[in-house]
Amino acid sequence: MKRSVMVSALTAMVVVVALSLFLATRHPVGGATNTQSPLLGKMAPVVSGARLGGGSPLNIKDDRGKVIVVNFWASWCGPCVTEAPNLSTFAWQERNRGVVVVGVVFDDTVSAAQAFAAHYGSLYPSVIDPGGVITNRYGVTSPPTTFIINAKGVVVATLIGPVSTRQLEVAVAKVKA
Amino acid sequence: MTLTWLGRVALYICFVGSIGGVIEQIVALRHRRASRALWWAGLSLAGIVAAIAVMEFALVTHNFSLAYVAENNATFTPLLYSITGMWSALEGSLMLWVLLQSLVTLGVLFYYRRDAADAVVRWAGLILFSIGGFFTLIMMGPADPFIHNAALVHQGAGPNALLQDNPLVAIHPPLLYLGFVGFSVPFAFAIAMLITGRVQDRWPLEQRRWTVLAWGSLSLGIVLGAWWSYQVLGWGGFWGWDPVENAALLPWLTATAYIHSVIVQDRRGLFRVWNLSLAVATFALTILGTFFTRSGVLVSVHAFSSSTLGPILIGFFFVIVVVGAGLLAWRGDRLRARVGVDHPLSREGLFVANNILFVGFAIVVLLGTVFPLLYQAINGTQVTVGTPYFASVAAPVAVVLLLLMAIAPLVSWRSADAKVLWERTRVSAWAGVVAVVLLLIFGVRRPAEVVAVFLSVLAAGAALRTLRGALVAAIRRGAWRSVLRAPATGGMIVHLGVVILALGIVTSTTYVRRAEVTLASGQSTVVDGQLVRFMGFHAVSDALRSATQLKVSVDGHELRPAVTTYHGRGGTTVGTPAIDSNLARDVYVTFDAVGGNGSTSGAQVQNNLPAGSVVLGVTVEPLLAWLWLGGLTIGLGSALSFFRRRYGDEASK
Amino acid sequence: MTILRSFALWCVAFVAVVTFAVVLNPHGSNASARIAHLETLVRCPSCDDLSVAVSNATSAIAVRHEIATKVHAGQSDNKILTSLESAYGTSILLSPPTSGLGLLLWIVPLFGLLILIASAIRLTRRR
Repeated sequence: MKRSVMVSALTAMVVVVALSLFLATRHPVGGATNTQSPLLGKMAPVVSGARLGGGSPLNIKDDRGKVIVVNFWASWCGPCVTEAPNLSTFAWQERNRGVVVVGVVFDDTVSAAQAFAAHYGSLYPSVIDPGGVITNRYGVTSPPTTFIINAKGVVVATLIGPVSTRQLEVAVAKVKA
Repeated sequence: MTLTWLGRVALYICFVGSIGGVIEQIVALRHRRASRALWWAGLSLAGIVAAIAVMEFALVTHNFSLAYVAENNATFTPLLYSITGMWSALEGSLMLWVLLQSLVTLGVLFYYRRDAADAVVRWAGLILFSIGGFFTLIMMGPADPFIHNAALVHQGAGPNALLQDNPLVAIHPPLLYLGFVGFSVPFAFAIAMLITGRVQDRWPLEQRRWTVLAWGSLSLGIVLGAWWSYQVLGWGGFWGWDPVENAALLPWLTATAYIHSVIVQDRRGLFRVWNLSLAVATFALTILGTFFTRSGVLVSVHAFSSSTLGPILIGFFFVIVVVGAGLLAWRGDRLRARVGVDHPLSREGLFVANNILFVGFAIVVLLGTVFPLLYQAINGTQVTVGTPYFASVAAPVAVVLLLLMAIAPLVSWRSADAKVLWERTRVSAWAGVVAVVLLLIFGVRRPAEVVAVFLSVLAAGAALRTLRGALVAAIRRGAWRSVLRAPATGGMIVHLGVVILALGIVTSTTYVRRAEVTLASGQSTVVDGQLVRFMGFHAVSDALRSATQLKVSVDGHELRPAVTTYHGRGGTTVGTPAIDSNLARDVYVTFDAVGGNGSTSGAQVQNNLPAGSVVLGVTVEPLLAWLWLGGLTIGLGSALSFFRRRYGDEASK
Repeated sequence: MTILRSFALWCVAFVAVVTFAVVLNPHGSNASARIAHLETLVRCPSCDDLSVAVSNATSAIAVRHEIATKVHAGQSDNKILTSLESAYGTSILLSPPTSGLGLLLWIVPLFGLLILIASAIRLTRRR
């Protein structure tokens, strides 16, 4: 076949059209990374304390038998803003399906945390962590960090970074299986 | 509210200028009358300058009524970082882009004002106006820099920590963008030439100076970007094959192919279709690059926050490629030269190999960058394509390119005479062998290093030989200074810069030595022949930041690696590396952890170590400074090439 | 000396030096070389694209420790990489698996090489 500019140009065009369509349909990353943490496979440390916004104190031991998603967040943390709606959507979606979402306020003032939760319409309870005791027990170095705990109280996954609803669904499905 | 409206009106004026320019050029083309394009270009420039003035005013006076200022500035942000804050986030970076685009458009139209009646100039102007208009339109819609901040905020978030601890933030983005924007000119002229069918005229040759300016800026911009990452990111490396880094590399690769390929068109009228395609490809890759940087589709430490710009930018990329490829498909076959390349080892033949190598490598880098997306779409799981892959492909390409640099400048046009070639390369070839023997004797034996040195000697030899020839000819004419403007001088100096850069890259990565050392105050240790002593802590606190510095001495020079917390609503803590640099080696020191039970420094704590001791990361990289030296040489060579004489101007080689 | 002879002399010197270099080069398949090599192939779990060889994040140090332990326990390179992959997922490796879609990453460069060679051949033939 005689080498023709038209053929090469049209081939290049087709490849680029395919590439453009592909890239145009990608969604921005909202990903958290699954990390190896020393807690994996161990019993989840205690998460208990005063509830943000008032009300009876919270203890995740009361939810033994359900899958618990513990999310460390702070009002000053940018990616927490990204994941806040995802967590609420997920919490609402799974509220009758044996999954509970609990937040832990990481290194923040109560007023700022309350404002954040109110602003982003948080649909799950959060625990205040004065002195960073819970944070230390979980070895959290920066928010947002999410732990997935199975029905027996064992930590099965650690996600660092802003989670998307899909990621939570996938992670929890693996636990329930 | 005033600032918001002032800024927005300025942007509208800029847009009107661009649209006016487009319409003016269309009318001028149809009715063949004089075009007032210069005025519209001036209006467009005035608009964007006014918009930038509004934004800079707001930043420098810390006026938080603009949301952009509230997010990227704080009352204690120093002046320099307030000014650079304009381009530290997505919306503002677009203003920098439009500023440079308007400047370039005005510059081009002014430069060719005597040819304003030429259809090629009119079409090129039309395209340049359209590009400016497109980016301005984005800023009037999805990426509005002048959004009003309704909340009464007394303190802003301040710039991203990594964008306010190094002055290179003032230089890297403008240079990089000048490069990107600069490539819109060859692109515009390429499209204009294809539309009018006039590829044989002087226009391709005219593009050379613009291309060299853009290429030089882009090269310097990329090297400075690497230097900046090296200084702040904390891992001692300068290139991570990160998607945004690759995004800047892709147009550079095709641009380098283009810069070489036009030499052949200049001398022998060949490669016309190659050159038009490369001009289109370079600009298209620039737009694809902005997509990667601003769409949030790929994760990167250098990316701006994700936004809705993705589909819009890809759409623009799509239009550019369809128009460019479509025009090439339509006109291309008629443009091919009657003659061809005579021999694969002639100068032209080697340039063909050069083109294929650069374009091929660009395709591979693009594939590697989008591959994780492809994989996830097809298989559902995530993969990473990182340094091991890119380095394995880059290494053989680099070897062949160095070989080409060693041979091509010495090979004749049209024919390949092996005897003559050997005559010209003999001295460098022997020098290369001697260099390798010396390396082996002194214990430098790793294959990568040995191969790199051998090829570098050959490539440098070819460049020096060419320079010597030009210098001798200039001296004979009695004007030795004219060698600076000789045709090949700039290019050969760039090649020398590339050789220095290559040696820096290969040596620093092959012989890097990393260590984590634990030292108590007063203790010292030796890492790879460098004496490292820890002398104590030093706390620094000012309006901008609080830092815990470590007093460290390396080889007698004092360094202050630190952990720094920047104030502001974010309050981010970053590590601040300290570097002791000389031509022989760089010693890169980071404050990794502190012993004891707790620390206000923000550094990691290691309870098993006694309080008051620290863990330092020490990385020794030989010849790392050669990268920056090489980059500088490349910049110098580009500048010389910008001012060089045309081929017919004197009796030179 | 004729051109041909001078070139031949240089070739002899070149081959001698290359042989010398190859012979002298230490072949590091000892433990520390293996560990260093493996570290460049594994991504630091909490970073985007840094290998555990260069990153000083806690998770990177943890993985480095794990690699060192496994190398000293006598596991093969492949086994170590596979075990890391099962713990963290495929994205922990800095180079995708060469089976399946990953093959594309190697076919494209090879294809490029073929084009280069083919064009050289075509240019030679055309004369």
